[in-house]
Amino acid sequence: MISSIVFINHKGEILIYRVYKDDITRSETTQFCAKIVATKENKECPIINIDGTSFIHITIKDIVVLATTKVNVNVAMTLQFLYQLVKVCRAYFGGEFDENCIKKHFVLIYEILDEVMDYGVPQIADADLLKKYIQEGGLKPELMNDVEKLKQLTSQATGATSWRPPNLVYRKNEVYLDVIESVNVLMSVKGTILKADVAGSIQVKCLLSGMPECKFGMNDKLLMQREPRKPGQTTTDKGITIDDLKFHQCVKLPKFDKERAITFIPPDGQFELMTYRITENINLPFKIMPVYNELGKNKLEIRVKIKSIFEKNLFATNLAIKIPVPKNTANVNTNSAIGKAKHEPDQQGVIWRIKKYPGDFEALLRCEIDLGQTTNQQPWIKPPISMEFQVPMFTASGLRVRFLRIYEKAGYKPTKWIRYITKAGEYLHRL
Amino acid sequence: MAYFGNNPQRGELQELYADLNDLNFEKKKEAVKKVIAYMTVGKDVSDLFQSVIKCLEFNDIEMKKLIYLYIVNYSRQKPDDAIMVIQNFRKDVRKSENPLVRALAIRTFGCLRVPKLNEYLIEPLKDCILDDDPYVRKTAVLCVPKVYEVSPDICPPLLELLQKLLEKESNALVLANLIQSMREIEVVSGKQIINLNQKIIQKLLLAVDECIEWGQIFILDYLATYNPQDSKQAEVIIERTLPRLSHINPTVTFCAVKVILKYLDFLDNGDLVKNLCKKVAPSLISLLSWNQPEVQYTILRNISLILQKFPILFENEVKVFFCSFNEPYYIKYEKLDIMVRICDSKNFGQVLNELLIYLNEADPHFVRKTIKSIGKIAITYDKAIDKAVSILVEFAKNVQQPTEPVQELLIQMQLIYKKNKSMYKHEDSLKIIYSIIDYANEPESKSACAWIVGEFGEFIPKSAEKMKEYIDNFQMEDRLVQLQLLTSAVQLYLKYPSQCSILIQQLITSAKDSFNPDVRDRTYIYWRLLSTDPEIVKTLVCFNSGAVQNFSKDLRLWETQDLVVALENMGSISNLFHKLPHQLYKNIKIKINNQQDVKIYKGEEKQEKQENQVQAQQSENQQNNKQEQQQQQQQQQDIDLLSFDDPPVNNISNNSNKPNLFELI
Repeated sequence: MISSIVFINHKGEILIYRVYKDDITRSETTQFCAKIVATKENKECPIINIDGTSFIHITIKDIVVLATTKVNVNVAMTLQFLYQLVKVCRAYFGGEFDENCIKKHFVLIYEILDEVMDYGVPQIADADLLKKYIQEGGLKPELMNDVEKLKQLTSQATGATSWRPPNLVYRKNEVYLDVIESVNVLMSVKGTILKADVAGSIQVKCLLSGMPECKFGMNDKLLMQREPRKPGQTTTDKGITIDDLKFHQCVKLPKFDKERAITFIPPDGQFELMTYRITENINLPFKIMPVYNELGKNKLEIRVKIKSIFEKNLFATNLAIKIPVPKNTANVNTNSAIGKAKHEPDQQGVIWRIKKYPGDFEALLRCEIDLGQTTNQQPWIKPPISMEFQVPMFTASGLRVRFLRIYEKAGYKPTKWIRYITKAGEYLHRL
Repeated sequence: MAYFGNNPQRGELQELYADLNDLNFEKKKEAVKKVIAYMTVGKDVSDLFQSVIKCLEFNDIEMKKLIYLYIVNYSRQKPDDAIMVIQNFRKDVRKSENPLVRALAIRTFGCLRVPKLNEYLIEPLKDCILDDDPYVRKTAVLCVPKVYEVSPDICPPLLELLQKLLEKESNALVLANLIQSMREIEVVSGKQIINLNQKIIQKLLLAVDECIEWGQIFILDYLATYNPQDSKQAEVIIERTLPRLSHINPTVTFCAVKVILKYLDFLDNGDLVKNLCKKVAPSLISLLSWNQPEVQYTILRNISLILQKFPILFENEVKVFFCSFNEPYYIKYEKLDIMVRICDSKNFGQVLNELLIYLNEADPHFVRKTIKSIGKIAITYDKAIDKAVSILVEFAKNVQQPTEPVQELLIQMQLIYKKNKSMYKHEDSLKIIYSIIDYANEPESKSACAWIVGEFGEFIPKSAEKMKEYIDNFQMEDRLVQLQLLTSAVQLYLKYPSQCSILIQQLITSAKDSFNPDVRDRTYIYWRLLSTDPEIVKTLVCFNSGAVQNFSKDLRLWETQDLVVALENMGSISNLFHKLPHQLYKNIKIKINNQQDVKIYKGEEKQEKQENQVQAQQSENQQNNKQEQQQQQQQQQDIDLLSFDDPPVNNISNNSNKPNLFELI
C-alpha cells in the first residue's frame, strides 16, 4: 500500500518523514520536494508519477501532506486518509495546522502516524478514539497499569460501536439539532437557473447518558409514503424528494436501505449525523437581477437588484454581494438605499454589505465605475456576481425534522432543541 | 521546542551521546527526541544506535515509541546491533499485560526487515495472531506480509494460521485487516492465498456493516475482484452492498459503486439492473459535490471510464458537470472532457451554451480545449453544426492576437468545412475566418489555413496572392505545412491555371530538392501528373466532402475487454492515468477475461440510429484491422488516453496505420 507519509512546507523542506515500507528512498522524496513543491507545480494535479513512484498529495494552507507509493493503490482512499490525518492533527492542536505547530508537536505526530497507519494500511484514525490512548507527553501511568481499563479501551476501539464509550453519565440529558443548508445556484446572464442544489447537513450535539438508541425522522417523501395513514389525520405536507443521503458511521445503513428509517447509537458530543443533497423544488431565498452597461470607453455602469423570496416575518442576516469590477478600476460611485457598498481593490469587486434584510423585499445598488488607462488590450473577463447570506429558521429545500425518539434503559426524558439555517453556498449569477 | 534546521556537528553528536548516557531520565528523553529530529531532517545519527537502545530499559511508552521509530529506521544498517533489541521485543510481546504494548512491540518487530532476525519473530507472531485481544490480533495479521516480503520461505505456517483465522475470526476490524494483509501477500507472491467459500463471503459481508471506514474499503475493494458464481450470488452481494451507498466517507460509497457495477454483469434480471442503476446514479453525483477537490478529481477521472460502459447513469445529468468559476483547472478539464462525452443529439444545445461561457475563461489552454470540444460536437452531431459555427465565428470576430485558442479555432474550422463544405456560407464564416488567417503560427493551424485557401480559392479575394505569400516562405515551414501547401497550391492552379502557373513552378523548384522524402515524393508526383494529365490531378486533390471520417470513434476508445479490467480497478492509480494496471506496473499480470461480449448499459430511448451506425462501423473496423488499431491505440495511450487530442484527420499520411480518407496520395 502506501510507502511513506511526508509533511512538507511550501519551500519544499521535509517536516515529518515516516516510512512504512522499504521500497522508497529518501532521495526520491527530496526530488519531489525540489521539482514539484518548490516550483508550486503541486497545485496543478493531486497525483504525480515520477519514475514509477506515485506522489499523492493534498495542500493545506502552506503544508503539503504527501503519501508515496509504488503499487496500484486506491487513490480516493489515500486522499481521504490524508484529509483524515490532517483532521486528527487539528483535533490535537486545537484546530491549528501549520509549520509551527507541526515542529512543536513532532513527537506527537510521529506517535499518531505510528497508530493511524501500519505497513501502509490505514488503521484507526478517529481523533476522539485516539485521544484515549495517545496523549502528548505519554499516557498516565495509572492507565498504563490498569489492565482492565486498557482491555475496555481496546475492545471499544476494535468493536462495532467504536465511536461511543460505555458508561457515560449526564445529570441533564440534552440533544441539540442543527439543520444547516447551503444553497448552490448558478444563474445565466439572462437569469435562467442553470443548476441549483441544496447541500444539507444535520449537526448533532449529544449529551446523553448510557447507550441510547435514537430514531430520527424527517419529512422525507419516500419515508412518509411508507407510513400507514392515521385515521382522522390529514396532513398537507406530502414530504420532499431527497436525491441522496450520506450518513455518519453510527447510522445503521442496512436498516435505512430496507425501511428508510434512520436509527443510531450516537457518539458523545458533537458530530455530523448526515448530509443530503436535494435538487427538486428548491426555494431560492434571493433573486439577483444585474444590468451591465458600458457607458463609454472608460466608464461602466452595473446595476444590481436583489429580491428576497421568503416570508415577511423572517430575516436574512450578513448579506454580502460581490460585484466584480475590472482590474484597472480607478473609482467607483455607489448608490443604494440600504446597506453599505464599497470598492475593495484586493477583492477586485464592489462588496455590498447588508446586516439585516427582511423577507419579500427589493433593494437596488447602482455602481458607476471609472476605469483607468491600461496597456492591457485583453477584454475584461467578467467573473460571476456572488452572494453570501444566512437565513435563520428557513430551509431552502423545505426539509423539516419530524421527530427524534430516544430509547435508553434508564428511561430518561431528554430535552431536545432544534435550529434551522440556510446559507449561501456558491450563489452565483453570471454577468 | 523546535529541533529543526540544525546540523549535527561532530561536537553535537558527542553531546547527544553524553546526554543519552546520562543518568537523569529527563535528559535522556530530551536527547532521544533530538535524535529523532535529526533523523527527520535527513541527518545520519546511526552511530548512536547502541546508546539509544540502551534507553529502552525505562518503562516510558512515549520514549519507547521514539526509540522503536529509530530502530526501524536504522535496523538494516546495523543488523548486529539490532539483535540486541530482540530480547526486548520478545519480553514485551510475551510478558506485557498491556495490549497496547504487545501490539506496539509486534508491529515494530515486523518492521525491522533483517532476514536473520525474522526467525526469532515467528513464534511471538504466532502468539499474537492468536491473542485474546482484537487490538493485538489486528496488528499481528498485518505483520505477516512484512515478514513475507523479507523471508517468504519461513512463512508457510503463518499463512496457514491466517487462513484458519479467516474462517473463525469474529471481529470485523481484524477480519478487514486480515483480508488486506492476505491481499498484500498475494501481490508480493503472485499466488492466490485467499480461499473463499460461501461462508467466508457471508462473514465479510457482515463485517462490512461493523468495521471502521477503512476496513469497509478493504473488504469492498476485495469483493470487486471476485467473480460471483451465479446471478443469485451476485444479487445477494449487491443487496448487502447497497446500504454502503449512504456512507459519509466518499471512498466507501465509491467502492460500493465499484462492487455493484461489476456484479451487474452477472445479473439475469433486467428490471433489477435498471433499478440498481437508478440507485447508483444519485450517489455517484453526490460524490462530485464533495468539498475536497482532489477527491473530486479522482472521481471525475473514473467517471469518464464508467461512462463508457454505463452511459445510462448520467443520462440527462449533463448539468452536474458544468464548471464553477473558482474550481481548480484540473477539475475543469475533466468536467469539460466528460461533458463532451455525454453530449448527444438531444442535449447538445445545452452543452454548447455552457461551452460558450468558457470561451471567456482566462486560461488559454482551457479555452483552446473548449474550442476543440465545440468543434468536436459540431462534427459529431449534424444538428449541432449551425450553432457551433455561430459560436466559433462570434469568437473569431474578437480575435486580435495570435493566441493559442486562435490556432485551435482555425484547425476546428478546417475540420468543420471538411465535414460540411456548405458551412462556409453560414454567418459569413469563411470571410471572418479568412480575416484572422494571418494569426496562424503553429504547423497544424497553418496547414489548416493553407487548406482553406486552396479549397475555397474561388470565394477568397486574391487567393493567389495569399498562396504566393505562403510559397515565398516555403522553406521555413514545417513539413506538415509544406505537404499541405503542395496540395493546396495544385488545387488553386487547377482553378486558376493562368494566374498560378508561375506560382506552381516556383513551388516545384523549391520543393523538389527538399530534404524530406515525403515532400520530395509528393512534389514529383504532382509535377509528373500535371505535365501528363491535369484531369487526373483534379480527381486526386479536389476534396470530396461526402467522405467524412468517423469522428466519434474515440468516445469509445477502450477495447471493451480493457474496460472491464479498468472498472475492476476503479479508484486506483492506473485508472487515474487511464491506463491498465499491467501497463503501469510490470509485476501485475495481464488479466485474461473470457467474457466475449461486454454489456454496455444504455438508456432505452437513447439508441439512436446514428450511434448504432457508429458502433456497427466500429466493430467492422475492429475486425478488419484489429491489430493496427491496437498498435494505434497503444500509441495514443502513451500520450494521453482519453483527451481527444489528435483526431486522425490531418491530411498527411505520416502514419501509415491511420486510414486516411481525405488524401489519396
